Amino acid sequence: MNPIAAGLAATTGLAMCASVAAIGTPSRWRARVVGVLTAVSGTAGVAAGIAAVTGIGWRAELPGVLPLAGLTLDADALSGWFLVIVGAVTTVVGIYTIGYAGGDGRGPGSGTSLTVLPVFTAAMALVPVAGSVPTLLAVWELMAVASLLLVLTEHRHRAAVRSAGVWYAAMTQAGFVALLVGLLWLAAATGSVSFAGIRSAAGHLPAAVTGAVFLLCLAGFASKAGAVPLHPWLPRAHAEAPSHVSMLMSAAMVKLGVYGILRVGFDLLGGGPRWWWLVVAALGALSALYGIMQAAVAGDLKRLLAFSTSENIGLILLGIGFTGVLAHAGNTLAAGLAMTAVLLHTVNHAAFKTLLFAGAGSVVRATGTRHLDQLGGLVRPMPVTTAFVATGALAAAALPPGNGFVSEWLLLQAFLHPGQGADTALTIAAPLAVAVVALTTGVAVVTFVKAVGTGFLARPRSDCAARAVESPASMLTAMGVAAAGCVALAVVPALATPALTRVLAGLQLGGTPVNREVLGLHLAGTAASVRPLWLAVGIVAVTGTVAVTARSLGRARRRAIAWDCGDGPLTARMEYTATSFAEPLQRVFDDVLAPERDIDVTHDTESAYHVAAIRYHQQIPDRIENRLYRPVVDTVAAVGTRARALASGSVHRYLAYMLVALVVVLVAGVIR
Amino acid sequence: MSHDVSSQLLNLACGLFLLTALGVLWRRQVSALVSLLTLQGALLTTIAVLLAAEHHSAAALAVAAGIGILKAGIVPWMLRRVHRLVPDARETRPLVNISASILAAAGLTLLGYAAARPLVAAASSASGRATPVGLAVVLIGFFLAATRQRAISQIIGVLLIDNGIAAVAFLATGGVPLVVELGVSADLALAVLVLQILTNRLHATFGSTDLDELRELHD
Amino acid sequence: MTPWLVAVAQAALLALAAPLVVGVTRAVPARLAGRAGGRIAQPWRDLCKQLRKQPTSPADASMFFVAAPAVMMATSLIVAATGPFIAATSLFGGADLIVVVGLLLLGTVALALAGLDTGTAFGGMGASRAMVIAALVEPTLLLAVFALSFRVGSTDLSRIVAAGATEPARVFTPASLLAAAALAIATLAETGRIPVDNPATHLELTMVHEAMVLEYSGRDLALVEWAAALRLSILLGLLANLFAPWGVATSLDPMWLAVGAAVFIGKVCGLAALLSAGEVWTAKLRLFRVPELLAGSFFLGLLAVLASAILA
Repeated sequence: MNPIAAGLAATTGLAMCASVAAIGTPSRWRARVVGVLTAVSGTAGVAAGIAAVTGIGWRAELPGVLPLAGLTLDADALSGWFLVIVGAVTTVVGIYTIGYAGGDGRGPGSGTSLTVLPVFTAAMALVPVAGSVPTLLAVWELMAVASLLLVLTEHRHRAAVRSAGVWYAAMTQAGFVALLVGLLWLAAATGSVSFAGIRSAAGHLPAAVTGAVFLLCLAGFASKAGAVPLHPWLPRAHAEAPSHVSMLMSAAMVKLGVYGILRVGFDLLGGGPRWWWLVVAALGALSALYGIMQAAVAGDLKRLLAFSTSENIGLILLGIGFTGVLAHAGNTLAAGLAMTAVLLHTVNHAAFKTLLFAGAGSVVRATGTRHLDQLGGLVRPMPVTTAFVATGALAAAALPPGNGFVSEWLLLQAFLHPGQGADTALTIAAPLAVAVVALTTGVAVVTFVKAVGTGFLARPRSDCAARAVESPASMLTAMGVAAAGCVALAVVPALATPALTRVLAGLQLGGTPVNREVLGLHLAGTAASVRPLWLAVGIVAVTGTVAVTARSLGRARRRAIAWDCGDGPLTARMEYTATSFAEPLQRVFDDVLAPERDIDVTHDTESAYHVAAIRYHQQIPDRIENRLYRPVVDTVAAVGTRARALASGSVHRYLAYMLVALVVVLVAGVIR
Repeated sequence: MSHDVSSQLLNLACGLFLLTALGVLWRRQVSALVSLLTLQGALLTTIAVLLAAEHHSAAALAVAAGIGILKAGIVPWMLRRVHRLVPDARETRPLVNISASILAAAGLTLLGYAAARPLVAAASSASGRATPVGLAVVLIGFFLAATRQRAISQIIGVLLIDNGIAAVAFLATGGVPLVVELGVSADLALAVLVLQILTNRLHATFGSTDLDELRELHD
Repeated sequence: MTPWLVAVAQAALLALAAPLVVGVTRAVPARLAGRAGGRIAQPWRDLCKQLRKQPTSPADASMFFVAAPAVMMATSLIVAATGPFIAATSLFGGADLIVVVGLLLLGTVALALAGLDTGTAFGGMGASRAMVIAALVEPTLLLAVFALSFRVGSTDLSRIVAAGATEPARVFTPASLLAAAALAIATLAETGRIPVDNPATHLELTMVHEAMVLEYSGRDLALVEWAAALRLSILLGLLANLFAPWGVATSLDPMWLAVGAAVFIGKVCGLAALLSAGEVWTAKLRLFRVPELLAGSFFLGLLAVLASAILA
């Protein structure tokens, strides 16, 4: 039997078992059973993915599974790459669920939630191996609905969850409609529903049709990926969903949006004109900058991570856009480099975002709050979680020796080599892209210093943070697995080069120009190289040597009170909060963010010169959302109110509507 | 002077020419703006002299001398006089803040470069390849005139536009016909005079040269 | 000589010379202001004294506070060992410019986290300001990198320097002058000099670096100050070697290495003197005008890239 088939069968089968088990097991054992089964199912997915990236192809038609079109599965190297991501994230989430959802059997531990969770993971595993338009649409919709149900898990406890659910439902369905129209149009124009048929016929389509299809698919996939300006669901859904669901959505589901763009743009439509990719690159630049600015000023830990997802998707889209533009300019070397960076960054982001959302989930579980201004001091009660979150933050800030650094280095190298004599658009776009990546990285560093520094260090800022306790072993194990993944990706990314070569060949981009040296990356055609392992070992070894040498020369350390200006002991209220930490940055980007500030000064009754109290309130609205979506939402609401007149409650009227509709359809048929 | 050195000097002068425009955007003190404008006039003269030397043309050298007297001498002198009469020391409230102005200038420079790409491609000499600089200064001048509140800053914006046009003319053609350049400069002198009178009147009547206050009169 | 030995020697040389470079930056303004000032070796004496003293940790601080000085020192030492300071040959396959930028940023981040870890308002204030400046410097730095690497086709520092040393005509192009100006402003911001930060201030409202390190004492303070001095030497050295690459050894011949070391020390001290003399005439900018300065240097970097694209 083909290993891919076996792996996929195991993945879906185990997921179904988990789903059924969630209904049948008592609440005390439910989380454990489902968690273990999901984790094993994820591991099977990883195995299938690895088999697929080694170049074993696999195709299967299952005509009986879905009505009308049947189910077509087709696994190539690209499918394998994303299958590995989904499987690995599923494994970590499975282990995490044991501790996170174990407990009183409510909320994330409820029967419904644990039944839907494996369905969601299985649907995600099937998306990259879908081999025809109906199959892709079916599993895509299954994934969307399952994730919506999971987002709504805690809808009884918080009103914000319901609002997030509505936003997510509306946007994901709008995106689905765009995909439906785009892909069906493509199928109709090529006369084939299978990807193989579309691939061979797409070259003969008129440019207007392929352009329209690409834009529709881009809208659908980019909204799932959370690219600005199609992002408003993302900070809501990621923040309000239970953390194990946030992990799955942010680390795996949004990547499938990226997969869709790659599959349709490069594989099915075979490249296309340059303006497509300039649009994608512009979308990416906007997402990266806007996402990270919002993340930098966010006070809610999970909202911060969610906007950071938008930022990383932005960087990925920027890379995809450049791949297209560079390939169009005939610079296959730089194009391959950009695509290598994109693929590595999807894996890296999946690894560190799994870890960070797992850490955020532990914090929320331990303290009951997500707000950074109320956290702090968690390093003492939760040392292991803090260490893991710091590892993830190092990667998310793209600092060496984190894994994010490797992919950003590759991305920058692609922009730095547009080639001599490149045309005007590329000559201008390349330095701008470098500037965008650099500013994004810089602000990302601020963001994650804020997240770690104010969330975990110094003194607790509230009672709930002071009462925090370390998470159970299963959650720590899950974080440990994710952290190990981050470390492996950081030090030996070169191991992925054979797989990358096959994926790139599948996308008609030649091979990857990244040569594997001994434990390092060396770029063919340019003289750039980086040795992540040496870098990591060097930093750790030299730091250790410096610390040990300094210690052995001097005297032992002493605890002392910090400088309090002679005014008695420092309290938590004197610390810099997350809001105050981000204030200078927010002032610099005032014109972009447009924060709403509110200062109330209460004066003493006796003298207007004496101030009794000052209340400062600030909120940073999502401007793009307010400008772009508010009018649409208002219009829809107004139309809805008007349309109420049509539904008067009279049965005669409804029957008349039906009659009119039937007559119109028949008349249309007759005229034709 | 070898050809190579001369073209390097020309590039240097063009680079500094653009940087003075950036300096005008950055500084708020009116006196500093006038000094920068003087420097820019001197750089424009340098460019003209270098081009004249390259073409061994006496007429072009005469134009360069005229430009030098006008742009590094008379115009700054007049601006200093206006400034002495109307002592608005600083540009206090630009419509677009300084950092954003500089980033916008970067964008405009890129645009100038993109727009002048055919000229650059067609140019045979090193001087032709520097034409985007002139175009960028024209755009920055427009931007300055559009976003500043004080009348004197706006005059400076207009002068930047004129310097930019002159630079484009020089660099693209390698020396302009004398008559055209003199005509343009005479126009400019007239414009400065008119603005000077206007500024004085405005100051005498309202005690300020904030142009937005004129609009309030209209309302 | 083996590359390993050269790297260690280079790191040792920079580490030994760095406090002296700081001494120069203090002595020159003192002379210009008519004061006697301290000796050039005074920073070394301060370091030796502090290294012997007992360090203290604030009551609420964690491992982050303890580890930061070592991390900062280690990242600086790695850059000092691998960069093209006295020899422009590939030690360990060369130092990549982006890696160097990343390593220096890692040191800044460690110190900022330590500042937050103290739980004092000063630490948070310094960390917040330092991180904002570091974030805004980043685009300028990488654009300058772009302009420099464009002509060589590589981001490998030793290649860029070696190309400059063998073909001096490449150094005096408009692109490289603009990149030098952009990189100089970025250096001022990265090393916390006037007009971005005042290394001599102890006034709460204006402190950036000093506020972050306020709680450090004894050996920790010595490490932080030493690492900061090393960063100053590294960045000045890079500036010197990228735009005036004369005297850099292009082989591992001991005699050339000795010449390279002497020339390098001379260049860095000269630049330090120039820098501190410039500081005498400049005032510190308000924190919220620093973005204007950095936007200006971004503009310069962009021009450098355009110039290298047009005039290449």
